[in-house]
Amino acid sequence: MGRAQYTIRRVLQAIPVLLGVVTITYFLMEAMPGDPVSIMLGPSPSAQQAAAIRAKYGLDQPLWLRYLNYLWDVVQLDLGTSLYYEVPVTQKILERMPVTILLLVSSFTFAIVTSVPLGIISAQRRNKPTDHVARVVALLGVSTPSFWIGLVLIIVFAYQVSWFPATNLVLPWASPAEVGVDSQLDVLVTSLHHLVLPTISLGTLQMAALTRIERSSMLEVLGEEYVKLARAYGVKETTILRKHAFRNAQLPLITLLGLQLTSAIGGAVLTETVFSINGMGTLIITAINNQDFALVVGTTLVLGLVFVVGVIITDLSYAYIDPRVTFEDAD
Amino acid sequence: MSEPLLTVENLKTQFFTEEGTVRAVDGVNFEVNEGELVGLVGESGAGKSVAAQSIMRLVEEPGRIVDGTVTFDGKKLVDIEETPDGRMEESDEMLSNREMREQVRGREIAIVFQDPMESLNPVFKVGAQLREFIELNRGVNESEAKTIAVDMLREVGIPEPEARYDDYPHEFSGGMRQRVLIAMALACEPRLIIADEPTTALDVTVEGQILDLVSDLQERYDTAFLWVTHDMGVVAEICDRVNVMYLGEVIEEAEVDDLFHDTKHPYTEALLRSMPRPDRSVESLDPIKGVMPEAINPPSGCRFHTRCPEAREACKEFHPEYQDVSDADEAPHAVSCIKYERVGYEDSDPLQTEATGAFAGGLADMRGDDDGRDPAGVPGGEADE
Ligand SMILES: Nc1ncnc2c1ncn2[C@@H]1O[C@H](COP(=O)(O)OP(=O)(O)O)[C@@H](O)[C@H]1O
Ligand code: SF4
Ligand SMILES: [Mg+2]
Repeated sequence: MGRAQYTIRRVLQAIPVLLGVVTITYFLMEAMPGDPVSIMLGPSPSAQQAAAIRAKYGLDQPLWLRYLNYLWDVVQLDLGTSLYYEVPVTQKILERMPVTILLLVSSFTFAIVTSVPLGIISAQRRNKPTDHVARVVALLGVSTPSFWIGLVLIIVFAYQVSWFPATNLVLPWASPAEVGVDSQLDVLVTSLHHLVLPTISLGTLQMAALTRIERSSMLEVLGEEYVKLARAYGVKETTILRKHAFRNAQLPLITLLGLQLTSAIGGAVLTETVFSINGMGTLIITAINNQDFALVVGTTLVLGLVFVVGVIITDLSYAYIDPRVTFEDAD
Repeated sequence: MSEPLLTVENLKTQFFTEEGTVRAVDGVNFEVNEGELVGLVGESGAGKSVAAQSIMRLVEEPGRIVDGTVTFDGKKLVDIEETPDGRMEESDEMLSNREMREQVRGREIAIVFQDPMESLNPVFKVGAQLREFIELNRGVNESEAKTIAVDMLREVGIPEPEARYDDYPHEFSGGMRQRVLIAMALACEPRLIIADEPTTALDVTVEGQILDLVSDLQERYDTAFLWVTHDMGVVAEICDRVNVMYLGEVIEEAEVDDLFHDTKHPYTEALLRSMPRPDRSVESLDPIKGVMPEAINPPSGCRFHTRCPEAREACKEFHPEYQDVSDADEAPHAVSCIKYERVGYEDSDPLQTEATGAFAGGLADMRGDDDGRDPAGVPGGEADE
């Protein structure tokens, strides 16, 4: 089976997963206590008002019909209207999603860029001081909650020494006028400056976990027979690391990256709260607090989609790096 | 005769593990002449692979070459000497790591490992792997290296080599991969190829084909081989000369015919008796009694005495001298067994072990036996002489 075929198959396999995500979220939300109508209308609304609202949002129909209607709407990319914001859910998501993606991308970039060299150095100097330091840092990193890191970073770097801002995240695509600077480049610089603390806060966990995996998989690969063979044919140690061992050692890392997307999405909710960032995380929390049914289901569905896309990208990069993946699937 | 291509003298390689020092290779001597196919045979765990890797200085932590000299074409690949104050140090003549890498590995000596499934990198195309090593060791450019690689793949019997050049290792069978690895070794035009049980992982038919191929190529390219195996049948089929290893030591060395027809060492004899042959039924096979002791704490005296059918009391005490016992007009035939020395073997009582058939007691007896030799066993064989 070729890579193209494999890609198509993986994408098609995502459809039932997404269907599952919508269904589960939909029924979980249904099962939640509390009546959205009473929240909208405040205490003791008139029966007439309530009935009108129910009819407007289709809440007077039986559950199965509402579910099927919702599915049909989702297929048409209509996620309903937010009760709280009174705008289409898609509009709200389109507004917030890029912010969260920005946060995820920057924290994953930070994690990968630091963990890969750290893990390799650690593996190369196994059981030497550098390795021990790297391992302690990694252990601290995986065992410290991201919101706590965020709070400490804010206290130290935002309030005590004021090196980095802790609130009012500037987005790189904002216009210079909005931000009050001269050029788009200045916007970008300001934005990066703002992103430092949230990125470290969210990325530390991934960085630590990735460093550990990178170290152990590098060690494993360096013990492989083909690495010994390269050495026996006079290949330089640096070339062995860079070429013969590197690619294989990234496979477990990629798997972990895919899995970490879930914890990172969870972490983003907390990080956004700590740094008052208006992303998907704060949107979900607002939605839940206000029993905004359509918004909760819509945001969950979209985050589920992000996760599924992440897993597909993981699998595809795996297949791209390791030629055995598509091959074995064909058997 | 001219100088041998490879001379290994008193080579000792040890692993410093938490359980103690593993004396994997413990004072080994052998030679390989230009264009000769020499066998290194012995049971699993005898130290064959460690010896092979020591020659190329590929032993990894916690292993270390602690003594001995390996000379290849006049170059000292290993040369460890005792300093006046009693420490073991590398001599000035011993090649540096860089010299080993640039002048010896791949260029002068190539190696083929046991497991063809693990020896090729799964994420690179077979051709690219061949090409890289050829470029490095033959000093040719990419396209020349490719030509050499394709020609060599054809030589080792890979059908449609141009097409297979762009295949990944998983698209080859085990036998085909081992052919690729042999092609890889030959393509670098080394003067010596060390083959560490290259056919052990293959089934018998494929093994036969590979052995035929190697015999044929060896004649045509006149490359010397050190062929490591645990299989006397393989030795009989392809080797000119054989070294038999037991527990870190070479205990017999002879030309193949001599070794089979004028066997001197009881261990070699036992190995030969345990070998399946067309003229013998499976029932008449006579496996060697007991298991090889740990290299961490080898038996005192002759290391084979715990399993030797001819062992006597004297064998526990005297570490045999490895010596040539052939007549002047014969090819050299070295052996390490006190039957060939004057240290009182004849007058000594047979040892009570399972192997000598005199074993009467139960485990308690064996334990008594063990206790007796342990204090002497720790400092190693030489101390007993
Ligand atoms: N990395 C290692 N660490 C500890 N002991 C080892 C290591 N490699 C080999 N040995 C020991 O060295 C001895 C010889 O092993 P080896 O050369 O692989 O045997 P053979 O190739 O003859 O089967 C064995 O006792 C084995 O346990
Ligand atoms: S020295 Fe003794 S134990 Fe060793 S091989 Fe010879 S007869 Fe057997
Ligand atoms: Mg071996």
